[in-house]
Amino acid sequence: MTVTDVPMAPQSPAARRGGRGFAPVLPALALVVLVFVIPVLALLLRSVLEPAPGLQNYATFFGSTTYLKVLGNTFLVAFTVTVVTVLLGFPVAWFLAIAPSFWSRLLFAIVILSMWTNLLARTYAWMVLLQRTGVINRTLMNLGLISEPLPLINNLVGVTIGMTYIMLPFMILPLHATIRSIDPAIFQAASLCGASRFQAFTRVMLPLTASGIAAGALMVFVMSLGYFITPALLGGTANMMLAELIAQLVQSLLDWGLAGAAALVLLVITLAIYMVQLRFFGFGQARG
Amino acid sequence: MSRTSRALGIAALALAAGLAGAAVAQSGSIVFTSWGGTTQDAQKKSWAVPFTKETGITVKQDGPTDYGKLKAMVESGNVSWDVVDVEADFAAAAAKDGLIEPIDFSIVKRDEIDPRFVTDHAVGSFYYSFVLGFNPASLKGKTPKSWADVFDTKTFPGKRTFYKWSAPGVLEIALLADGVPADKLYPLDLDRAFKKLDSIKKDIVWWGTGAQSQQLLASGEAPIGQFWNGRIFALQQSGEKVDLSWEQNLTAADMLVVPKGSKNKEAAMKFIAEATSPEGQASFATESGYAPVNVKSAALMPKDVAANLPDKHTASQINLDMSYWAAHRDEIGKRWYAWQAE
Repeated sequence: MTVTDVPMAPQSPAARRGGRGFAPVLPALALVVLVFVIPVLALLLRSVLEPAPGLQNYATFFGSTTYLKVLGNTFLVAFTVTVVTVLLGFPVAWFLAIAPSFWSRLLFAIVILSMWTNLLARTYAWMVLLQRTGVINRTLMNLGLISEPLPLINNLVGVTIGMTYIMLPFMILPLHATIRSIDPAIFQAASLCGASRFQAFTRVMLPLTASGIAAGALMVFVMSLGYFITPALLGGTANMMLAELIAQLVQSLLDWGLAGAAALVLLVITLAIYMVQLRFFGFGQARG
Repeated sequence: MSRTSRALGIAALALAAGLAGAAVAQSGSIVFTSWGGTTQDAQKKSWAVPFTKETGITVKQDGPTDYGKLKAMVESGNVSWDVVDVEADFAAAAAKDGLIEPIDFSIVKRDEIDPRFVTDHAVGSFYYSFVLGFNPASLKGKTPKSWADVFDTKTFPGKRTFYKWSAPGVLEIALLADGVPADKLYPLDLDRAFKKLDSIKKDIVWWGTGAQSQQLLASGEAPIGQFWNGRIFALQQSGEKVDLSWEQNLTAADMLVVPKGSKNKEAAMKFIAEATSPEGQASFATESGYAPVNVKSAALMPKDVAANLPDKHTASQINLDMSYWAAHRDEIGKRWYAWQAE
């Protein structure tokens, strides 16, 4: 029911035709093998071969409180961002689905436009807004609401604000597709049957949109796990995420074995989360 | 299947054509990689433009320098960078790991280069000082002088900023601030340095790029800290009211290196010769506020510019010990990043 409006709908006619429809996929498949599978395998090999064959890189990773803390940070940030994104994205997706077409198109354009703006520019804009001498702190201080600048940057708050903003479209778009496919008559029916607004929301709306929420949340969570630029600029070193640690290992310490181990830990965790999602929401619905 | 193999054939052809195109483009040109921003602009203007005029070899600019990328190129044998501007501790470590070519001193004139900034595998690009920079307006008229003042959060409240990456500089600053005499710095007492840094850790904002350091200082976000002298110079040139103290300024050089397996080794050496020539160094120093590594350059520079260079502030100058760093780079790096993430 939910797949019809989604651009990525997996059950395309070509796919159902089986073998005959397979050939057009090969170039893309070859590309994926070339630019993704092979490098990942190479990384896996490095993680068990450098500097000497064995599992010492994994032992180092799991034996270090620092790396485990960074792993914990990564989950904390991804989880926080996902929750905030769901809470903020749901009303927007709802509005997009029910608003008169002019307003809905305008809001849609704003959501999409933010995706087209350079990521670094957007992150720097947040730095300017959030820092101690930034617009927000200065305004609040001039209004006399605070006497000391609020710590909005170089910590978890900064990362959450910056990443939520970047992730919102990835929540809003699948959720919007799901909500739009719900027949509005269902809510009239609920109300005719005596459901309060709250009941209509919790017992009709939420179950019907659960797959959309799950799809958006999965995408946001997984993308957040591997995020790099925004946490590096808006977070402090104490909130370091795994991607930044990997970059340090690759670029600064040139310890590619350990970097490979860290990258694989991240990949395995991400795949595991995806599998859990598939199990509970199924393949088609997981995407929309 | 035949359709598939044809598609693959076309893809292979396209790839081959692309490679051939790249090979043609490489003749008579080299790729120079540096750190971007005002520094690389000055390098382009002072070195690349005159070099192309003299030799006809075009110089493509790339960047920013990325040690991981350099290592990947050398390992894969597909080296697309010919001359790279790197930090001195990396140059020393890379020479040890066999990642860079020895310098051809029949082309580069070794005797003209300040001996502090030349090795068998690398020639100085420019030399800089880490200086104490501050924003007077944000410090309410108080003037910090020594590194100890950066650790004095009572007299100089607010955030302080330091270089984020594990590199020579911050640990030395912490030890100097803690009272270690300059001639007793090495070998570094790491426990003592980290303990000193712990005392202000919550007030530290790290800068990862020169541009970021400038933004932090000019905005007053971090009104005091450790900066590259050229970045303060550039801020002052653009009219920002920032100042610096040269007391115990810490010198280090950027180095020019040629990645092992460069396809244009000879042209690369010629480019390094041009860059480190008296004229090339004088011109770059005038543009950037960093000091020349060529001992003959100072005479060629305008007097007022030469007065602002690190080589005019040698009285309390300390040279960061690159051979110590090359030997301990990995071990310190691991501890540094673990400490930061704590």
